Amino acid sequence: METIAAHTTVHTEHTTSHDDHDHHHEASWLETYVFCQDHKTIAKQFLITGMFWGVVGGLLSVIFRMQLGWPNETFPILETFFGRWAEGGKISNEFYYSLVTMHGTILVFFVLTGGLSGTFANLLIPYQIGARDMASGFMNMLSYWFFFAASVVMFSSFFIQTGAASGGWTAYPPINGIRDLAVNKGSGLGFDLWILAMALFIVSSLLGGLNYVATVLNLRTKGMTMMRLPLTIWAFMFTAVLGILSFPALLAAVSLLEFDRLLGTSFYLNQIIINGNLLDYKGGSPVLFQHLFWFLGHPEVYIIILPAMGIVSEVLSVHARKPIFGYRAMVVSIMAIVIISFLVWAHHMFVTGLNPNLAAVFVLFTLLIAVPSAIKVFNWIGTIWRGSLRLNPPMLFAIGFVSMFISGGLTGLMLGNSAIDIQLHDTYFVVAHFHIVMGVAAFFGMFAGVYHWFPRMYGRFMNDTLGYIHFYITLIGGYAIFFPMHFMTGLPRRYYAFSNFETFSNFDSLVVFISIAAIIVFLAQILFIVNFFYSIFKGRKVEGEYANPWGGTTLEWTAPVARIHGNWPGEIPSVHRWPYDYSVNGKEYITQDVPLAPGEVEHK
Amino acid sequence: MTTFLVFAVIVMLYVILVLIGKANETSKLLSGKVFSYEGDSKMNGYLMLGFLVLFFWSIAFQIKYLTPLMIPKSASYHGDETDQLFYVTLFFISIVFVLTHAALFYFTYRYNESKNKEALFYSHNNKLEVIWTVIPAIVLTVLVVMGMRVWFKIFDVDGRDKNMMVVEVTGQQFKWTVRYPGPDGKFGKRIIDKEHVSPTNELGIDWTDPNSHDDFFADKIVLVKDKPVLCKLGALDVLHSFYLPHFRVKMDCVPGLPTQFYFTPKYTTAEMQDYLKTLPWWNNIGKESNEPKWKTFKYELACTELCGRSHYGMQKDVVVVATEKDYLDWMKTQQSHYETVVKPSLEEKKVAEPIAAVVSTK
Repeated sequence: METIAAHTTVHTEHTTSHDDHDHHHEASWLETYVFCQDHKTIAKQFLITGMFWGVVGGLLSVIFRMQLGWPNETFPILETFFGRWAEGGKISNEFYYSLVTMHGTILVFFVLTGGLSGTFANLLIPYQIGARDMASGFMNMLSYWFFFAASVVMFSSFFIQTGAASGGWTAYPPINGIRDLAVNKGSGLGFDLWILAMALFIVSSLLGGLNYVATVLNLRTKGMTMMRLPLTIWAFMFTAVLGILSFPALLAAVSLLEFDRLLGTSFYLNQIIINGNLLDYKGGSPVLFQHLFWFLGHPEVYIIILPAMGIVSEVLSVHARKPIFGYRAMVVSIMAIVIISFLVWAHHMFVTGLNPNLAAVFVLFTLLIAVPSAIKVFNWIGTIWRGSLRLNPPMLFAIGFVSMFISGGLTGLMLGNSAIDIQLHDTYFVVAHFHIVMGVAAFFGMFAGVYHWFPRMYGRFMNDTLGYIHFYITLIGGYAIFFPMHFMTGLPRRYYAFSNFETFSNFDSLVVFISIAAIIVFLAQILFIVNFFYSIFKGRKVEGEYANPWGGTTLEWTAPVARIHGNWPGEIPSVHRWPYDYSVNGKEYITQDVPLAPGEVEHK
Repeated sequence: MTTFLVFAVIVMLYVILVLIGKANETSKLLSGKVFSYEGDSKMNGYLMLGFLVLFFWSIAFQIKYLTPLMIPKSASYHGDETDQLFYVTLFFISIVFVLTHAALFYFTYRYNESKNKEALFYSHNNKLEVIWTVIPAIVLTVLVVMGMRVWFKIFDVDGRDKNMMVVEVTGQQFKWTVRYPGPDGKFGKRIIDKEHVSPTNELGIDWTDPNSHDDFFADKIVLVKDKPVLCKLGALDVLHSFYLPHFRVKMDCVPGLPTQFYFTPKYTTAEMQDYLKTLPWWNNIGKESNEPKWKTFKYELACTELCGRSHYGMQKDVVVVATEKDYLDWMKTQQSHYETVVKPSLEEKKVAEPIAAVVSTK
């Protein structure tokens, strides 16, 4: 408590100087809430857009789980909403593939990339490094509005006559390379819109990413050396680096794909025969697209998981009242993951016609990336060992993240080994693996972040009881959905029905169970959203002008609860110590801006 | 109406939960004490420990009741090795899984703030960190080496049996075309150009090549036990993937890029059925067939690369016969496509040719 008192005096000294800094320009409503350049507002815009997409993406999965669970039932409400896509209350196979494709696209890009990085990198980078705002507020604003435009285009593709893209979120040609496939209408305008939306999304991601890196490198406050950065910032910065280096590859890949589709080039197409007619494409290779796609696609999963890892490291440490275990090892393992993640992409392509000799390299690096991941897991467990854990919603979600990351990560050792992957590739085993390790886990990281920094964002707390209900349903339900899928190994994914195969008919009652679990988990996420919006207006208030509700050491808790432009009135605090001084020198925590006491040695 | 009721109930549920949540919070605030999470931590400590028990129990339950439903043992030789590799990996990851989960949830319970008031400042331990870097690295190296040995054996082109049989399987929306080379063991050439490819000859087979004359299209894939087979794979329109789940065989079919998979079947269809008969679960009666599950068992070919709206319907039966003789007997029942379809139509065309020639010179 001593520390808080110290701040308050420091800040009151500066109230006079902050006046002239703040009031030179009266912001209009439009500038405050819509075209806003303040990182805190942009973070909220990303979060709420991401939540909208989360509901849409989740709802799509509920609809296709209904088809999978009860293939012989009809649900009249589906016809009410989707008309001819669900005639007689049963979704058509084409609509099913649109749902699957859009579910993947939305959750991977719009929720877990845009929603996750966009929210927390924006909120925390300036706060935690001690900056007034991003390096370029204008670019930051553009980043959100490109994301918004991408969202509008992507969403609009649901409402066109030929339906949304239906050739898989991976956009593989030739099915997505030919516009007028009679048997796959989603390859038409729906996929053009998909490409346009992705192009806008990539622009957004690059604008954001460049800004994050520039901000972290240039705008750190006095004393904030790189090795004094909280792990969240390390994670966000390297996520941005990954995005900057890999998203252009996707932009190039889908641009060439659009050339094939509209201009008749043959980058990815060769000897296509449809209904006995040889098309004019010559000399391209569908496998080339897969290389380009996964050159983004694999770093993309780390773009999703690294921010969650950063958030979890921070949340675990704060609520364990204990420094993160092995800070340096954590930083080094993030770097190792970033570097190796560029050398593993072809493990998605072991059985796609790739030269088998190439597999050796990719197996090696794929299994190698498990080492830094393992280090992180052990360090998280080391962090909670002999802590004094405050088991509130953010902490529970952070622990749940570690559990999910272990469960999902370990099966990666099977999939990454090419010989085993022959059988597992494109089956439910893969579905189980990646949904647990980058789907549910990343969501857990995101939830931990939202519950933890909600007081920072809104000056109120989210409701704990609802948080606990949300957590336990999601934890148990997440495993109920995806863990049994490991046993469905061998069943192909992306199947509208299994009735055509004797081999795949054994799991009829299990798929019903999974569908019920999926619906319950979805409803629990709605509870989270109810809690979120209810708490913005009615949540328990954070007490005190400079409250630090969790007793955190990082700089965002030294700023006033009232959210002001420029974050700190008066001078920006300077930094004197690393970010994890918990339970040390007889104090519960010491914030980073407190100078070393006489005789105190800085932790290194 | 029911739909409306369901929605009404769900909305009610949310309202009730929010009220409960609010009430809990208010009562805690009104208790007069400083707001603390200690009580919550205590409760959640127990719940998390309970979750650990539930989780491990549910995994045991799943192993007991779901494992028998899985695709049965490998019906090919290389599949035994990949399965073994799977189980070796499973062994290692199970150890890690159990230990880390036990530690994670036990520590959550043991060190929650109601049981442990003071946290220990303990920021790193280099020795420990080296240990848990080096051990995974060693295990992973072992797995990589084992994996590569199996992998290169499967794709060892030089080590192939000269007497292998060859089957050509071509995917298209939404069916598989299975072509056998016929008694001469040689496929007729395929030429992919506008002259050869037509709606009646989608594969672009050159019928002037005498090797093509005894080729036949089969409605199923017939293989011989212990006889290596090379599957030559291709696709006409979009990507497909040739997947034989029981044989642990999977390879994409790519338009314009030939791929292949070489393997040796180990059990005939009948042998596999006999094996399954010994497993209790496979003696259950199937819903549609009204027969024991093992009796309707068959090997199947499926597509595992999303290829359009009927992707899930690309099924073909696969049969493994016991001897070469069985295979030859089956082959005798198959008809050459050239003899039965192409030749008669060529003869018809010959009659019509003069007219066609006039049209084309115009």
